Amino acid sequence: MRKALCIASKDLRQVFLGGSGPVQAVLLGLLLVFIFSLSAAPGERIPAQGAAAIFWLASSFSLVLIFNTLFHMEEENEVATALLLAPVSPQGVWLGKAIGGMVLLLLTQLFFLPAIIVFLGVEPPDDLLFGGLLVLGVDVGLTVLGSLLGAVSRGSEARDSLLSIIVFPLQIPLLLAGIKVGAALLSAEPVQGYMDWFGIIGAFDAVFLGAAMILFPFVFGSE
Amino acid sequence: MKLNRIAIPAAVLAGICLAVAQYFVWVYAPVEATMGQVQKIFYTHLPLAWWALLSFFGVFVASVAYLVTRREQWDLLAGTFAEIGVLFSGLALLTGSVWGRAAWNTWWTWDPRLSTTLVTWFVYTAYLVLRSAEIGGAGQRKIRAVVGIVAFLDVPLVFLSARMWRSIHPAVFASKGGGLEPEMWTTVLVSVAAWGVFFAALAMVRFAGLLQQERVNGLLAARRSFE
Repeated sequence: MRKALCIASKDLRQVFLGGSGPVQAVLLGLLLVFIFSLSAAPGERIPAQGAAAIFWLASSFSLVLIFNTLFHMEEENEVATALLLAPVSPQGVWLGKAIGGMVLLLLTQLFFLPAIIVFLGVEPPDDLLFGGLLVLGVDVGLTVLGSLLGAVSRGSEARDSLLSIIVFPLQIPLLLAGIKVGAALLSAEPVQGYMDWFGIIGAFDAVFLGAAMILFPFVFGSE
Repeated sequence: MKLNRIAIPAAVLAGICLAVAQYFVWVYAPVEATMGQVQKIFYTHLPLAWWALLSFFGVFVASVAYLVTRREQWDLLAGTFAEIGVLFSGLALLTGSVWGRAAWNTWWTWDPRLSTTLVTWFVYTAYLVLRSAEIGGAGQRKIRAVVGIVAFLDVPLVFLSARMWRSIHPAVFASKGGGLEPEMWTTVLVSVAAWGVFFAALAMVRFAGLLQQERVNGLLAARRSFE
């Protein structure tokens, strides 16, 4: 765990000291929210489900940019072999990348939430506890998958689009859960009626957490 | 090659089986009272969807086998199953869409089975794109195997979440007898078996083709290194 935190901290320092930070991911998400706001006539509000969907769509695109950045860093600096030779297990590298990705994703979502309130005209969620649980639960699944498959598209010139077409369909169960519960939160409906969706989120997180721990060594260090 | 010798008779047998299945569909099975002739799509749609799912399971098994044994034949078999699965699920989606237009007056609607088929079609088409992308250097077979495993792990979760979202699909086999006449049942079984033979023949032909391609690539690489 300590070594994973070391890798996460190294990645985050590199991302922020590089000057741009997660600016590209934030900007892309904000653009998506703004463009989606054009689907409603002036003065009209976007339904809560639509707003929740665009929030998770923006998060998904950010996820792809974030993990491509995290896995491209070593490639760019030609130190990928150094990471392989470092005294860290492949699972440690995967966990480190996942933690780094999770921090960056949460950071970008801090911008997306106010953006959907402002541009799409939805009310801020009242139930912050369930809201926080939802975002954390879905983000764990997204980053687990992103960290496992982020390494897949290394070396490909079209890595952004390749990672998108692989990751997007796989994360459908999480997105459905996020949209359904998110819509309830944004329309001030009681979340208790949506507890089954937390089961889906938990199952997704558990299945892919286990799969990633076993499979990441095959993906990473294959060159 | 041995496989080629079996594949050709298997393909002929598949043609005969599909012709017999068509006899059952158009002559033996009664015309459904509400939907009429359109219901006949069901005898093609259902076997395609089932064999597509089995094909995707084949990708999973072959991918696990590759990671365990590192024999390239398993990787090629996974590719074979993925291609057939994408073809069959694509056709199942098309026939399902025609059925939906006739039964529900819409080309597309949210339904767990339809949505799961569409999502798996997306996932395995992406897998095929990854196969053709030539990335990951020497380890690209391992990467494909990992994606092949992860893709199948997602299928039950997609189905569960899609069912919780909404469903209007008829539960054909949910109740005893499933509301089908005995002749319709027989036709379903004959169609599933006929498409199964076609599936096996197609898999053999394609697998033999991929093995040949691999041999030719190996020979060309050897020639290049010699020069």
